[in-house]
Amino acid sequence: MSAAEYPGLPAKPGGRWKIWLAIGIIAAITAVTLAPGIGVDFSLDAILRNWRNGTEKIGQLLVPDWSFFPRTIAPLWETIQMAIIASVIGAIVSVPLSMWAARLTNPNPVTRGIVRTLLNIVRAVPDLLYAAVLVAMVGVGALPGIIALVLFNVGIVVKLVSEAIESGDPGPGEAARAAGATQTQINRAALLPDIWPPFINQALYAFELNVRASTVLGLVGAGGLGLLIDAVRTFYRYDQLSLIILEILVVVVLIDWASAVIRKRVK
Amino acid sequence: MTALNTAPRTSRTAPARPVTPPAKPRNPWRVVITVAITVAVILVFWSVKVDWARTVNLPADIARYLWLMFSNPAWDKVPEALWQTWRSVEMAWVGCLLGIVISFPLSFLAARGIGPAPVRFVLRGLFSLIRAVPEIVIAIVILSVTGLTPLTGALALAVNGIGTLGKWGYEAIEGVHPGPIEAVHAAGGSRWQTVRWGIWPQASPEFVSFWLYRFEINVRASAVLGLIGVGGIGDMLTSYTQYREWPTVGALLIVVIIVTVAIDLTSGAIRRRITEGSRVRDLA
Repeated sequence: MSAAEYPGLPAKPGGRWKIWLAIGIIAAITAVTLAPGIGVDFSLDAILRNWRNGTEKIGQLLVPDWSFFPRTIAPLWETIQMAIIASVIGAIVSVPLSMWAARLTNPNPVTRGIVRTLLNIVRAVPDLLYAAVLVAMVGVGALPGIIALVLFNVGIVVKLVSEAIESGDPGPGEAARAAGATQTQINRAALLPDIWPPFINQALYAFELNVRASTVLGLVGAGGLGLLIDAVRTFYRYDQLSLIILEILVVVVLIDWASAVIRKRVK
Repeated sequence: MTALNTAPRTSRTAPARPVTPPAKPRNPWRVVITVAITVAVILVFWSVKVDWARTVNLPADIARYLWLMFSNPAWDKVPEALWQTWRSVEMAWVGCLLGIVISFPLSFLAARGIGPAPVRFVLRGLFSLIRAVPEIVIAIVILSVTGLTPLTGALALAVNGIGTLGKWGYEAIEGVHPGPIEAVHAAGGSRWQTVRWGIWPQASPEFVSFWLYRFEINVRASAVLGLIGVGGIGDMLTSYTQYREWPTVGALLIVVIIVTVAIDLTSGAIRRRITEGSRVRDLA
């Protein structure tokens, strides 16, 4: 109607049906995911049954058991150690891999494709699943946790750094190529200096994620605070869990702050 | 290389002048910090309770287990694995929706220029508090009320989602171009109308994009939540790992990888379509 009555106005853009289609699909998936039998069981009676007991437990979170603190020091330190070691190993491994995975530093599409596919597969598995499988392979302790974190790190850092390389300036590389440099020389002399800042940035970011991740790896037996979380949760000692959560908060905030300071210096 | 770069210019302008490259910049602090960090890292390596000598055999060991897992995966377990993966994806979906519904209004209240300062302050603190706690710990806390059911997993993901979605949300809102907002103000629009017509049309692609991204995160996280027994593929994977049934573990990992990558690719394609628009229509 508008086009005929108001000749000056353009017609309303079409495609509103797409939004309704999207909403329809979302509603359909939601209906299936909530359907009894095949969906997430949204039964309220279990919640009502557990309500008093459960809220009492959660109330315990508000009164941390400070006397538990001495026992948490060693696992907390192990958590931080795992995060640091995994970040360092992951960072060292990531430098050549990111160069392999980026077009500017590796013009060969075959090797680039292989590295990228492998890393996509590595990234598809969450760190805790790695840890669960690795604990069964190499035994309980910090080692499976470190390996799981390294895999997790390499997945993230290589993806982010290789994207940074691709979006970087091709100029220095072309100049070096024009001067007759081999690909290795180009990477070493012309491109590496540009890669350091994003690399350090992402390595620190991965370190922050590692600290968070390493606190729970112990739940599957991979060392650190998670071992304690597992112990206190089986006894429903939520006052002790509360102290552990507080420690995680403090460590995460401190590490994030330190990492932010370093990153600002790097920029 | 410096000499090569400068040689043509000097030869054209002035008679040959010896080119002395400038001294390398020195930063004593950099040396101090590098040495300090290196020493600290070495200390950490040395002090951790890991028998580094044992790691020599590690590659061979891992290769052996990989062979056990993937040389002959237990394909007969795949239907059960797909069903459990569906349970995990359900958790991810429901958790994502709940997180969206709760975080959506909160992210507006937490944005500068919309919410009152005290509300903003409290909400931002809440978001960062939630983000610092791993979702598996949140699940452990709420399972005392909801029991070991997929609902617990969904709720834990929802709570965690509030932290991330809330933060991304207010950042997106604060990042919009101020022009349309001023235009709505100038036309006499109310606060609600400013949000609806000045902010939302600009911010909506970003919102939809990180809702989808959060779903991708949830798919991974929901697999992990199974480890504490709330059901799904993580649950199945831990039990078979504990029985050391490697062919089944291999099959389960293959299912996890394929499903995760498929969801990532689909969601990524939709996100790109939303944020970049369709190329074809632009050309037409």
